[in-house]
Amino acid sequence: MTAHSRRLRTDRRQQVLLGAAAGLYAAVGLGVLLMLLVSSGPLLLRVGVWQALLGVHWNPLAGQFGLVPFMSGTLLVTALAILLALPLAMALAVVGARVLRGTGPSLMTRGLTVLAAVPSVIYGWWGLTTVVPVVRRWSGGPGFSLASAGIVLALMILPTLAVLFQDALTRVPPTWQEGSLALGATDDQTLVRLIWPAARANLFRAMLVAVARALGETMAVQMVIGGQTIWQLNLLRPGATLTTQILTDLAVFPPGTAGYRALAVMALLLMAGMYMLVRISERWERTP
Amino acid sequence: MNRRGLTLHRAALGLAGVTGLVYAAMLASLLRDGWPLLSWRFLLGLPRELEAGGGVAPEILNTFSMVMMAMAVIAPLGLAVAVQRVEYGRDVWWTRELDRWSRVFLSVPGIVVGLVAYRVLVAELGWPVSILTGTVALAVLNWPFVAVSAGDALAGVPESLREGSLALGTTRWQTWLFAVLPEALPSLVNGLGLAAARMIGESAALIFTAGVNVSPHWGLAAPGETLAVHLWYIRTEGLMPDATGQAAATGIVLLGLVIALLWASQRLALWLERRH
Amino acid sequence: MSQPPAIRVADLSVWYGAQRALTGITLDVPAGQVLALIGASGCGKSTVLRALNRMIDRVPNVRWQGSAMVGDTDVLGPAVDVVALRRRVGMVFQQPNPFPFSVFDNVAYGPRLHGIKHPARLRKTVEDSLKQAALWDEVRGKLRRPARALSGGQQQRLCIARALAVKPQVLLMDEPTAALDPLSTAKIEELVRELKGRYTMVVVTHNLQQAARISDWTAFLEAGRLIESGQTGTIFTTPRDARTENYITGRYE
Repeated sequence: MTAHSRRLRTDRRQQVLLGAAAGLYAAVGLGVLLMLLVSSGPLLLRVGVWQALLGVHWNPLAGQFGLVPFMSGTLLVTALAILLALPLAMALAVVGARVLRGTGPSLMTRGLTVLAAVPSVIYGWWGLTTVVPVVRRWSGGPGFSLASAGIVLALMILPTLAVLFQDALTRVPPTWQEGSLALGATDDQTLVRLIWPAARANLFRAMLVAVARALGETMAVQMVIGGQTIWQLNLLRPGATLTTQILTDLAVFPPGTAGYRALAVMALLLMAGMYMLVRISERWERTP
Repeated sequence: MNRRGLTLHRAALGLAGVTGLVYAAMLASLLRDGWPLLSWRFLLGLPRELEAGGGVAPEILNTFSMVMMAMAVIAPLGLAVAVQRVEYGRDVWWTRELDRWSRVFLSVPGIVVGLVAYRVLVAELGWPVSILTGTVALAVLNWPFVAVSAGDALAGVPESLREGSLALGTTRWQTWLFAVLPEALPSLVNGLGLAAARMIGESAALIFTAGVNVSPHWGLAAPGETLAVHLWYIRTEGLMPDATGQAAATGIVLLGLVIALLWASQRLALWLERRH
Repeated sequence: MSQPPAIRVADLSVWYGAQRALTGITLDVPAGQVLALIGASGCGKSTVLRALNRMIDRVPNVRWQGSAMVGDTDVLGPAVDVVALRRRVGMVFQQPNPFPFSVFDNVAYGPRLHGIKHPARLRKTVEDSLKQAALWDEVRGKLRRPARALSGGQQQRLCIARALAVKPQVLLMDEPTAALDPLSTAKIEELVRELKGRYTMVVVTHNLQQAARISDWTAFLEAGRLIESGQTGTIFTTPRDARTENYITGRYE
């Protein structure tokens, strides 16, 4: 056997191994999705998809599987977090991309990367010791609330959002900025009329990443939201989200119970949300 | 910069400063509450359920062992998936679908993986709530992250490098090993560092798979509460009188680990880049 | 249109940090005429150009001495409104740098900065500018197309139109044809000759024939110093300095 054919055989063997790894990877992903479907299927078939999704009462022991309280909680908390985080993240990004000079921008990125990697339980801890008491004092309510969850979540997603925003702004070529300045634009005008429009696809996709992170966050939210399963829309009162409800009720409803199936429906909803976000993000991939 | 038309930039600077202060305040309160409790007794002692003065030694050990075991599995497997997709990948419908679902699973909530792992491993296969079960959950949760970040690192290597190597008559595998890998190594290391940091901080996937208690004897089948889970548990359900301080001290240890890890991986990446 | 201003640079020195980029440059460009700046890469041609519209402000730790009069204002003076100055002194860059917008929005970018919002007025300004830049016939009816879909030469003329749309009095061009093919280059050169008289222009170029073809005045720089300047015909036929002669005859090491 020549050295070359031996090498080719090694090459083929590597390919088989790599293919096996990719196959296992796909199988695990499919397995997770399938288990969610298998777990939730019986309940969805029995109660009906719309009834399950649109019910407002959650009492699995009494056969009530309404998920509206949790969907509404997830949406409210996520929306609040994004609303709070957007301006602050943009401020950080503008400072990192346009105000700082020299090693400043890269230091900023490194700092934000560390903050983005801070475990969510630490944000939750801080929410419990600081945010909840402040909201309690300010609103007179229990403090554990949708608002507290939104605030904690905003601080959690902010570093990620700011890093991605800063990257998006930095990617706008300096020659375009020079062109704008040479036309007599001020720095503010250059930012608003050139850089934001030029970076808008990347900015939007960064926001989708932040939305995904907010939708999926469990621990930090669970620590401050209060776990109220009765549907209500007052931000200053307790609530629950899809993720926090899975966390609190998984101990109560082991696999095989109707309650567990309802939790699997929630998980499925979350996965559907993530899938939708990825699809939306794909549509923005090639627009400038 | 121009003297005129800087209002927005000034406002951004102000807002950024305020935001920085908020994070500084967060860090300060963590240190204020936790620092007094940090001691060798805390780091080397066992946790106590009902009295003050417990430690986190088993939690530190569990965190290390689970993250390292999960990493040992998904670092090679994640890299293999990335190589398969980037170097040998064909662009057909199922590979496109695979890439798409990789990105979906990138943001799969830890609790969803916990929910499934709990059913499959604990309820169906009868595994105990343990270090091994938790490690599997961690690995499943972070495999996509490693695969995607490794894929990005490989895709960042210019195509001209591969062509140059292939033109010399090497096989694709040799090309990858001797031309692509060294070039991609710094960003690979960075990605693995981030993945490990993610795993150290993970808790939602572990509560029902690794558990919220520790055993005095380490073992694969022993319950494996990690630092992050411990923090959550004592801060929400802890009965010891110094729960807040204990949680903060645990947070400091956790944060210290994450920062040390990120710092080390960034330094390693930088060193690799310079050496290359 | 008002009479374009004359440019008088007097004893201009520029430092980037500790590094000296220009030493005692003195130059005159009569109103409405074209000056070509020639010299090797890194000799300071671009710095002269960027001093005239204060784009050098963007370089950290930049310092300068001397004066540069555009009409009656010293553009290097401490009280100069840089934003207003750049509206008077337009600039075209080496690489065509159209913004990622439509052809129309590129040209309208400047007028909109001035606060012109009225659609008909905006349209007129855009059309006039495109006509002046000899691009109108090629983009008429395609104003909503993305500017980056145009060819390189068209993009560069679009950038000229964009600069003209803010109604400047001076036009600075930094190697405007360095990235273009010969045909596009010829069109830009023709355009410069047409715009002569309405604008005072300073053109940096590596291409000596180009300098000879388009300019009234030529200045030769070496290592941040002005070696020789004068009427283009004189510089190219009877240079006084040996270094100038070496450079224009290609005996430049």
